[in-house]
Amino acid sequence: MTATPTRPARKLSMKARYSALTRDLDWEPSYVSSEEMFPYTSFEGIKIHDWSKWEDPFRLTVDAYYKYQAEKDKRLYAVLDGFAQSQGHLSLSQASYLNAMKIFLGGVTPLEYQAHRNFAFLSRHFNGPGPRFAALCQSQDEIRHAQTEIHTLSNYNKYYSGMHSFLKQHDRVWYMSVPKSYFDDALSAGPFEFLIAIGFSFEYLLTNLLFVPFMSGASFNGDLPTMTFGFSAQSDESRHMTLGLEAIKFLLEQDEDNVPIVQEWVDKWFWRGYRVAAIVAQMLDYMLPKPVMSWKEAFELYFEKQMLEGLFPDLEYYGIKPPRHVQQAIDEKEALSHFVYWVFYNFSFAANFTTSIPSKEHQAWLAENYPDTFVDYFQKPRWDKAQRIVDNGGRFFFMGLPQLCQVCQIPMTFPEPGDLNTICQRTSDYNGEHFNMCSDGCKWIFDREPEKYVQAWLPVHQIYQGNCGGPTVPDVLAWYGMQEGDGGEIAGSRDEVNWAAWHGTPAAKEA
Amino acid sequence: MALKTIGTYEFPSRSRQELYGEDMLVHVWWKDNPMFCAAATFRAPQAMSWADFRAAIVDPWASSDPDYDASHAFSWGLDGQPFTPEPGTSLADLGIGHKHTLSFWG
Repeated sequence: MTATPTRPARKLSMKARYSALTRDLDWEPSYVSSEEMFPYTSFEGIKIHDWSKWEDPFRLTVDAYYKYQAEKDKRLYAVLDGFAQSQGHLSLSQASYLNAMKIFLGGVTPLEYQAHRNFAFLSRHFNGPGPRFAALCQSQDEIRHAQTEIHTLSNYNKYYSGMHSFLKQHDRVWYMSVPKSYFDDALSAGPFEFLIAIGFSFEYLLTNLLFVPFMSGASFNGDLPTMTFGFSAQSDESRHMTLGLEAIKFLLEQDEDNVPIVQEWVDKWFWRGYRVAAIVAQMLDYMLPKPVMSWKEAFELYFEKQMLEGLFPDLEYYGIKPPRHVQQAIDEKEALSHFVYWVFYNFSFAANFTTSIPSKEHQAWLAENYPDTFVDYFQKPRWDKAQRIVDNGGRFFFMGLPQLCQVCQIPMTFPEPGDLNTICQRTSDYNGEHFNMCSDGCKWIFDREPEKYVQAWLPVHQIYQGNCGGPTVPDVLAWYGMQEGDGGEIAGSRDEVNWAAWHGTPAAKEA
Repeated sequence: MALKTIGTYEFPSRSRQELYGEDMLVHVWWKDNPMFCAAATFRAPQAMSWADFRAAIVDPWASSDPDYDASHAFSWGLDGQPFTPEPGTSLADLGIGHKHTLSFWG
């Protein structure tokens, strides 16, 4: 029997295709209840009455999605090949620029992979097909970002120190526990909290502060591959921002009872994300041989102007207020980067990057950008003395392990509000045990959910429990997978010596 | 506010004192020296005398700063309260508990 030839179907409109390929794939469960099918979307107390109200402004379908991404990958990999073939690693501003990328590779790239995992989970577990499909696309974006970031930086690993064991180090090295524990906190939350934590706070509220500095730094410092990666990820990021905003508006519009829950998540995840951003702050102000803009400037533009003046007035309509503790972040903008780079200067003997006293020109730039704080609070009491120690043949390092905040896990270095000369110390007692926090923000987070934070894997405490290779610094560094030349002082480091040799500068002849 | 969870949620602290046997963690904060970016954390026997704690643990760390003078008479605090060290008394008998913070200045 022969089939009757049919006329080819008319091409569907974009809207109809989106509907057919996403929303139409949904069904009502018949032999299980919807609670059994979607067991994770009720325990957080969020009420959703109509999942179809989730808007996807992009109306992406699977086939279109993969086509766009493949094109972007092709362009990126062409640049990576060209850069490698033309010895691009020699055209950076300085070898020390890559310290920023060493932090990015170990601190941020593994988070992309974790985001991929959790968005994949959400793409199964949200009740509505709209958010499920949006989560699926974001899940694919995140694994693509992890892969392309690794490929982008892998060429440098052939020539420079500190990038060889980034995955292992993400799980082990003391400062990497800051971004890692931040993400673990989100991964172990419920699906809606994750959406506010990562989809909204990380990908919307703080995304420009977290990513733009790295990509602009790359562009100013001759790192063409990372800059191209940034462009390749940018269209994904703008989609993520739109979805992050859609997510919070969807939750707020579904039920008034959701508002106080979402407000607490905004409060918590703003502060958690802001503390992670401290690592970006020091990178922007201290690690770029050719600086782009100061942290203070970036914070004012990307956070105060775009978010506090742009976003929050819109959210006020739903009853959402700016994050609790936001004033503390604003007050810290004059000092944040200086405190955090000083931590790294104290401890880079145990890191996969190097630090040094900023050059005279760099200190002049810092003084110009931070006229009220740098000279009196940081240059005179810290850098001038560090320089005297160097002039006497030494190098200041903190010969011990620092007190860590139980929540953000950063060494407790941050200032008491209104007093840059005093470290802020906060404590809480829970179940007869004493806990230490770096700020009112972190203490508020701890006191809200102490059951969660008592489990924190604090690197310093783990070392003292004997879980990190042994009791001595060399034992721990071996367990971290550190190799000769990874950390310490920039002057005389392996990367600096190689750089001078490759460029035939006088320092190389002496070395 | 109670944690919202999908089931029973009871996990022990990952840094409870018993994980350190007869020892404990003690924080030491040199308050008026900005060279040290944070207080230090040490593991020390609860029965260690103050004199030994100073000589074996605090002094080597504070000597990261070449200007440190171990014989200088510092003022001491414990969790923000005035504190008077006694060389022959153990840390535990001086009231120093697991993960509490000693500070000195002057």
